[in-house]
Amino acid sequence: MATTTSTAVSIGQTLPELVKHIPQRRIDAYSGVRPNYIHSDEAFARKKGFRAPLAQAMMSTAYVSELMTRFAGAGFVKGGKMAMTFIKPVLAGDTLTVRGVVKEAQPEGARTRVVVEVWCENQHGEKTAVGTASGLLE
Amino acid sequence: MEFPTLTYERLQVGEEFVSDTFLVTPEEIETYAFAVDDHHPWFFGSSPFGNAVAHPTLLGNQALRLRHSRYTVPGGLHAKMEFEFVEPIRPGMRVRSRGRVIDKYERRGKPYMVTEFTTEDETGAVLVRGRFTQMLFRD
Repeated sequence: MATTTSTAVSIGQTLPELVKHIPQRRIDAYSGVRPNYIHSDEAFARKKGFRAPLAQAMMSTAYVSELMTRFAGAGFVKGGKMAMTFIKPVLAGDTLTVRGVVKEAQPEGARTRVVVEVWCENQHGEKTAVGTASGLLE
Repeated sequence: MEFPTLTYERLQVGEEFVSDTFLVTPEEIETYAFAVDDHHPWFFGSSPFGNAVAHPTLLGNQALRLRHSRYTVPGGLHAKMEFEFVEPIRPGMRVRSRGRVIDKYERRGKPYMVTEFTTEDETGAVLVRGRFTQMLFRD
């Protein structure tokens, strides 16, 4: 699978977005199922003030990882970094769009570390997670 | 062994956790691929690293659940996550995470804990390192 080289990257470049629908079934596969658990127990989630079980925030890091692996390839799988802040809950049934914009590029050894501003938005256009991710490009 | 309920007051900065070992299997990788709807070919066949590799975030929950090795956790919310992917995770590895609580604080009346972690293979080589912040439910 072809990946990007640093010479083909420009600051401000937009990465191809990912769209992720998140049904309860995928949350169950990710987090497991048990009672009194905010990710799988609807009554418990309601008790905690949410209208549906929450997708684990960690799922959003997986989506950003997919975005970055498609962009930086092996230089994300080995040498990648990510720092995310989760600002709004993601509920079962939500659809997230995962976006990235290249923010900076710095030499690191013989390669270039490309830093991408990344975020996830729900179907209402609200940001649910924000941060940065980077990978090493040839 | 007792598993006391995790509370902000009981938690100690400097406290250390170690997970059990976990065998990375093709089935685990496939389950994860379904869960996050990411079926990249490197997870199922050859990759630039030779054979298949796992999703870089596959073992995030092993780290996130370190506190469950000692406590019953009433739940909480995940506030922040940092990862550094040092080496690829490969099927057949037996992996273990180690963590240390480096901070706890209260903000707007809610308690938080911060943990640094590494995830290692059976030789002790670091695969992933990072840090996460979790908000604790009070009840």
